[in-house]
Amino acid sequence: MPDILFEKSFQINKKDFVHAGEASISAKNLLKSLQMDAGMIRRASICAYEGEMNVVMHGGEGHLALAIEKNRIILEISDNGPGIADTEMAMKKGFSTASDKFRELGFGAGMGLPNMKKNADEFELSSRLGEGTRVRMAFFTDAAV
Amino acid sequence: MEKVSPSRYVHFEKDRCTACYDCVRICPTRALRFRDQAPRLRAGQCIGCGECIRVCSAGAVRAATCKPEHLDRDQISVALVSPVLYSQFPGVHPETVLQALRQMGFRHAVDMSYFLEMFQFATEDYIRRNRKKEESPWPIISPVCPVIVRLIAYKFPNLLANILPVVRPLTVMIREVVRLLNEKYDNPEQPFHLYYIVPCLTKMEPGGPFLKDSSYEVRALGFNDIFGDLRREICKVPWNAPLPDFFDYETTVSSLIWGSSGGETADLKIEDSLAVSGLKECMSYLEKIEMGLFREMEYIEFRTCTEGCVGGILTATDRYLAKRDIQQTILQGGIERRVTRSEFLRFYQEGRFAQKNSLSDMRRIFGVYEKALSLEKMAEIYRLLNHINGKNCAACGAPDCRTFAEDVVRGEACAEDCLELRAREKK
Repeated sequence: MPDILFEKSFQINKKDFVHAGEASISAKNLLKSLQMDAGMIRRASICAYEGEMNVVMHGGEGHLALAIEKNRIILEISDNGPGIADTEMAMKKGFSTASDKFRELGFGAGMGLPNMKKNADEFELSSRLGEGTRVRMAFFTDAAV
Repeated sequence: MEKVSPSRYVHFEKDRCTACYDCVRICPTRALRFRDQAPRLRAGQCIGCGECIRVCSAGAVRAATCKPEHLDRDQISVALVSPVLYSQFPGVHPETVLQALRQMGFRHAVDMSYFLEMFQFATEDYIRRNRKKEESPWPIISPVCPVIVRLIAYKFPNLLANILPVVRPLTVMIREVVRLLNEKYDNPEQPFHLYYIVPCLTKMEPGGPFLKDSSYEVRALGFNDIFGDLRREICKVPWNAPLPDFFDYETTVSSLIWGSSGGETADLKIEDSLAVSGLKECMSYLEKIEMGLFREMEYIEFRTCTEGCVGGILTATDRYLAKRDIQQTILQGGIERRVTRSEFLRFYQEGRFAQKNSLSDMRRIFGVYEKALSLEKMAEIYRLLNHINGKNCAACGAPDCRTFAEDVVRGEACAEDCLELRAREKK
């Protein structure tokens, strides 16, 4: 296990659309002030935002945790929400369980998780019904890949 | 330690300052610190948004402007008029405003909207050519508001690639006006004096030109500096005033729309565009674009001032009155374009839209480099921040606890400046 050089966790609030996205913005700004690789920051912020929106829409209370290691960063988005019944289906493009209310807001196109997988270098989704969901992603500096 | 130098955009009058810290708190680039009973500006970090001027109720923050005394009748002086100026005089035809400027002492007064239309063609052209290309960064961001360009260079450098790579209308205008002046006046003794009449601080260079070449100098003049004189001259313009100018771009009232938020995109013939105005809104949209949102949008017009340029810091008329007047004018007359596609293509082929600065140049010109924080320092910042556990009181002179902690870690402030920490140590 490589050493974790820096860790920081940001709170995500259930159904709080007014502040949705703030955890990702904080994480992104933290990475920016470290002036880490721009491409990696871009990919990580896209994933952080998608993940945060998933928690706000479907999940319960959640966290966005950021860990920085020597050559990579790890993002972990977790919540204590209802969990995902069929993780395989959830990974399919266009599949969504978002309610009409959220679709009207422009979300729920079924692209969130596939988009996160596309942008992350490593992606792992685990979920238990009634307990919650966890998405763990790793990003390597573009130069190192 | 801290570098303090005068800003091109604002200056602070220490005697008027009531030490309320409002300017320190509101600055979007966190360029202000309160030290020794006065706000200190890190001038390199100032993007000229003018928020500190707006927020200061004591009138201690002033816009740096270049007063019209500089106008010398012997010079060949040209007023470059942005159509936003017309919105300051509801019901007055743009041609009358231009004539009044000539009466004020400008040898020529040229309307900018012809070049704005040219710019619109160039925008449409660029978007159409790149629409199908996946690699183009979407959405394309309007380069018209210079504060936004500076804000992007400073806070969102990754988005510099999204800025439309077409020269701004003012640049095209200056190139063309100087070319025509050179044709008309053979070997003038003095350089041509161009005055860009502006509603905001963005081109200020107190007492001097912001752009200079061997044959011309361009200075900025604020609306509020000429408003009184101009209004008097407008009343004196005879109804049948001749058109004495050889610059004739058939000014139309529909150019007024450029003063309002959404004016740039209203007549843009592309698939999808947005217009965002107000500094806070603009920043929040830029954050979102950086996180991959709005990629389906083709073009976004950003204006730092709420409601667009009619809300500029140097305007003389209320922004909502100006907006209403613009809307009424457009509702009556619609939007017409004078520039034809063939005219645009001629300009284009002659390379008049060619950009001189590359992206990295823009970063160098507008951007501010802060030394990157190391992971150890970042951890130290959060440790200190937890220790302070403060309420962003700003008593230390920094806008918020996070900025203060960073200043301490960077060696630009002392931990003892924090009241919370001091109080806890005494216990």
